[in-house]
Amino acid sequence: MVALAFVGSACSGDNSKPAAAAQQKAASCPKDWKPAWQRLAVRTGAPVYCPTWMPNPLDGEIGGQWDNGVSVEKNKSWLVSFLWHEPPSQDVHVNFRGFPGDTKIPRCEDIEVVAGKAHKTYSPCFSDPRGTRRFGPITATLYTVNRGVDQWHILYAWRAGGNLYAVSEHVAAPLTFQQVRSNLDRVMRGLVRLTPA
Amino acid sequence: MKLTRKELIVGGAAGAALGAAGIYELVDRLADSPSHFGEGREPEQHLLDGMRIEESEGVEIVIPTRHHQMVTAKVQGSPGSLRDAQAALAEVLQKLDDAYPGTPDGLAITVAWGLPYFRDHVPASARKHLPFDRRAEKSALLDAMRFPSDPHETLLEDNDAAFLFRSDHQDHIQKAATEIFDRMKGVLAITSIRKGFAGQLDGGPGLPKEMATAAGVPGAELIPDGSELFLGFTSTQRHALGPPRIVNFETLGLVDLGPRSYFHGGTHMHLSHVFEDLEAWYLNFDFRERVNTTFKPRMPVKEGTQTVPQPPERAASTSEVERDFDRFGAIGHSSSLQPASRLQHDVRGSDGTLYTKGTAIPQRADFNTLDNPFFWSATPERDRMADGPAAGLHFVVFNPSSDDFHRNRLAMDGVMPGGAKLPFGPRDRGQGFNSILQTTHRQNFLVPPRRHRAFPLAEL
Repeated sequence: MVALAFVGSACSGDNSKPAAAAQQKAASCPKDWKPAWQRLAVRTGAPVYCPTWMPNPLDGEIGGQWDNGVSVEKNKSWLVSFLWHEPPSQDVHVNFRGFPGDTKIPRCEDIEVVAGKAHKTYSPCFSDPRGTRRFGPITATLYTVNRGVDQWHILYAWRAGGNLYAVSEHVAAPLTFQQVRSNLDRVMRGLVRLTPA
Repeated sequence: MKLTRKELIVGGAAGAALGAAGIYELVDRLADSPSHFGEGREPEQHLLDGMRIEESEGVEIVIPTRHHQMVTAKVQGSPGSLRDAQAALAEVLQKLDDAYPGTPDGLAITVAWGLPYFRDHVPASARKHLPFDRRAEKSALLDAMRFPSDPHETLLEDNDAAFLFRSDHQDHIQKAATEIFDRMKGVLAITSIRKGFAGQLDGGPGLPKEMATAAGVPGAELIPDGSELFLGFTSTQRHALGPPRIVNFETLGLVDLGPRSYFHGGTHMHLSHVFEDLEAWYLNFDFRERVNTTFKPRMPVKEGTQTVPQPPERAASTSEVERDFDRFGAIGHSSSLQPASRLQHDVRGSDGTLYTKGTAIPQRADFNTLDNPFFWSATPERDRMADGPAAGLHFVVFNPSSDDFHRNRLAMDGVMPGGAKLPFGPRDRGQGFNSILQTTHRQNFLVPPRRHRAFPLAEL
């Protein structure tokens, strides 16, 4: 009974008790979050990874209080973003990304205008790899320099079933790099794979 | 290793701060015993004997001293007492010279004097004897200036004197500094104390990373293991530092020493403090971009390299820097400096040495710090002293004149020798290095030769 109660509170984004519960019990996508994540898998035609824990105060409910947008491109690559923002500069910001049918790290366009002249460059969206880490069946690489929507984030990326996936979190006050790294590890440990079927 | 509150906080009087190590006590706990050697005491104050030369990634590097301290001061008392002060300071400095070899194992003290000292205390002699920069057609010692990438808040300081202490042994510095300023009580009032360290590339995570991590500085965990400095690259390549006497006023013939060559064997020193935003550096610039912006765009360097060769024959010219700007909208820190900081042709120095084209002129003695911005300040509000440690650099460099330093520093901002200006905005990302630096203080000083290091010109 106690374990069940803890699993229930995991959906609230509380950052203490649910972790213990998650470790005691095989993780499953929280019931309030699952329908939208399941729909995303169907829409993109590939498995997605549903979080079971999110850093305080966020939760992982697409369409919920902290939803910062869901986008699916023509090639089915997708982005799900959750954000808490406190002006002027405090953020808790987590991105989930998927690239169905592609395992290459995407390229990001960067345009710098210097003295009125635009200098366009293309660089890997995730760079400066800092080693790999296993989270259950997932072996992910940590990238510390990321571009585009993941700029100033640290990011785990991994390949599975011919697809590329990534989870990142913004390194910004009130969190330190170490706290963000620890948050990301915990998010990764709790990921649950949902198939389109 | 995390710091206790006691280790982080140093307060109270200057005397207590001189003898206190604060966070820097950790330096000796984190690093192995240093292995510098040698004896020496050159006529020049800025030279340090017995520096160890080693190879790092196939490049010859000079191993920097581990501990550094800069103490700035104002002269108190009446002009009439300057001769007594001169004798007292000369005596205590001589005593310290006798007590320690002038090597990293011992102690190097460099005493430098700012324009306020020469203007306010020895104006007539200064007018006659201060070296004159022929190229700039100005005095070799100028007031510091703000550069295009400096924030408006950069303080241009007005200290009379600066004492640079360098040693592999912190206790040598603490004892010597305490002895000097105890002896000079009532004559020299300390205005600031600045402390720091440099990594000696002796393996493991390296001193900068361990110190920054212990202090909880944002981005500390991202510093590459083994780096000499916070920004992850070695900066003491032998070819990137001027050979021993090249910065002497007389060597390159840049400076007119006046009727009695009073300052023969002397040089010029620039001192500044710079905050370094490590998180911005390591989260926004990948290794390739860090190389581009530290050295030169598209420079071929193997991933993870820390010591990048910068031989004379590869020194960049103004036209190469301009080409990089046109092509990439970016310039490298080192390459942009080289048209100003490297010899553009062979020069036979006054010491008889042939200095070949591409030889570096400036001799840097900069060191990393966790001061915020200083270890201690007599005017904490003016100096914007803040709580907690912050990653930064106490930048110390010797050049033959203020103008020579200014030319170098302007080139770093895209103002090339000859005046061509690459149209960067202040702290533009194309000057990537500059975009993560914030200079808080600047001042220029004259470093007399050892024989005149105590209150120069006071005896005339």
